[in-house]
Amino acid sequence: MTARGVLKTLSPVFACIGLLCVWQIASLRLDTESFPTALEAIKAIPSILGDKGSLLNILDSIRRMAIGLVLAVMFAIPLGLLMGRIKAVASFFNPLMMIIYPVPKAALMPIIMLWMGVGDVSKILVIFLGVSLPIIYHAFQGSKAVEEKMLWSGAAMGMSAPMRMLRIVLPAALPEILTGCRTGLVLALITMITSEMIARQSGAGNILFNSLDMAQYDTVFAMILIIGAMGIVFDAAFEKLRLSLVRWSQPRDDMPLSFT
Amino acid sequence: MKVVSLRSDAHAESGSLSDRKPASAMIEIDHVSQRFETSGRQSHLALSDINLSIDDGAFVSILGPSGCGKSTLLYIVGGFVNPTEGVAKVKGKPITGPGPDRGPVFQEFALFPWKNVLGNVMYGLRQQGVKKAEAEVRGRKLLEMVGLKGYENFYPKELSGGMKQRVAIARTLAYDPAVLLMDEPFGALDAHTRTRLQNDLLDIWDRQRKTVLFVTHSVEEAVYLSDKVIVMSRSPGSIKQIVDIDLPRPRKRADLLLDARFQKYIVDIEKMIDDGGKDDL
Repeated sequence: MTARGVLKTLSPVFACIGLLCVWQIASLRLDTESFPTALEAIKAIPSILGDKGSLLNILDSIRRMAIGLVLAVMFAIPLGLLMGRIKAVASFFNPLMMIIYPVPKAALMPIIMLWMGVGDVSKILVIFLGVSLPIIYHAFQGSKAVEEKMLWSGAAMGMSAPMRMLRIVLPAALPEILTGCRTGLVLALITMITSEMIARQSGAGNILFNSLDMAQYDTVFAMILIIGAMGIVFDAAFEKLRLSLVRWSQPRDDMPLSFT
Repeated sequence: MKVVSLRSDAHAESGSLSDRKPASAMIEIDHVSQRFETSGRQSHLALSDINLSIDDGAFVSILGPSGCGKSTLLYIVGGFVNPTEGVAKVKGKPITGPGPDRGPVFQEFALFPWKNVLGNVMYGLRQQGVKKAEAEVRGRKLLEMVGLKGYENFYPKELSGGMKQRVAIARTLAYDPAVLLMDEPFGALDAHTRTRLQNDLLDIWDRQRKTVLFVTHSVEEAVYLSDKVIVMSRSPGSIKQIVDIDLPRPRKRADLLLDARFQKYIVDIEKMIDDGGKDDL
């Protein structure tokens, strides 16, 4: 790897270190109790991850997020693909989506809690709602953009309409679908934390707010670091998966150099 | 509609529309019209009362200005478009949809970008349940035939236009259709690549003698390749004349370019198309 390559690979690390330095200096200068230094926050991380209760809470959050995400993917991809190929399906769902799209899904949380309680079901439902729309939208766009002649070529080979959907439209739209999934993944994390802040019962969001209530500011900031790191790790892992699935659609010299 | 044969011998007449032999007809088009709905209540007559019979093993070109409905006619034979009126038949059976007896090759290549070259060529065979090992053997053989040996593992994005079209031709030949439907297949290629692909297509056709329906707007290309050139005019799209091309095969481009008969065909057909242009005014 060239020197420039190394620099490019390490640039996110430098950015993190820089940010922590700014935090450290700002915290020392301000010297208020509610703004611990970066070092104090980092020192608090092992005690959270070492605590069995906290760890189970965080794993619980990840489990809900995964279930919501998988359900959304299973629902949104087929719907988006159908919308892209069948006019009637698109004209039914498009106006519906236009109305639902700008509504913050977390705003529905109080009503959902009222109907379904504060447990897993409500939180998973909110994650599902938050994640579905971008994936539907991208699957729809990807499916709509599939070349007609590609489908005709498949039809001439004797492929039935459902077969063409599965074996031509799906792979052809996959790069676009996975772009939607990447957005969906980050949204899943956001809605997961938000839902736990509203329905405070368990999870990473709950730890964060509980420590805020108890004025344990180093724990608050440590949790923010943990959640942020989770987001970065999930996103990077997904990007790796995405690239391995759709390498055929990448421009030739655009091999991933950074940690994404 | 007048059927013109530029050949003077009696044999030429047997190839014309008037006394065709239905027994050897691969494609029959019977009073086909195509109307497309346009904005508002208006509609556009793309094809008007087309009648045509194409013999088994013939190389037939459809030639005409853009908007004359020549591609639409091809799509009707392919089963991709249903005619508003009339019937198109293949081997005596009415066409109700696409099928592996009619293989299309498009100007846009329409390759599957997520499959490599070999995967594209094997695709049709795999869809029809041919075992992977057998499909691979046939795929490699076809790629050798179209001059792409060594490119099996390349992806479409890594190929030039000419190579993409070679893959598309191999992909269609793989499932052995009786009819090749070629929709301006060389229209997006540079002159040199185009000539090479024309020659290679003629070689393949000489060996396999499939029925070929070839849409083009190049008079020279149509005359060079075909047994018969269908000249169309537009608004509404209809057959202006059918010209039998009586040039010996196998054809060599270098010889034909100096051949007075070849030149006369081109000049005559260009005149027919120009006349059509005046009609429009």
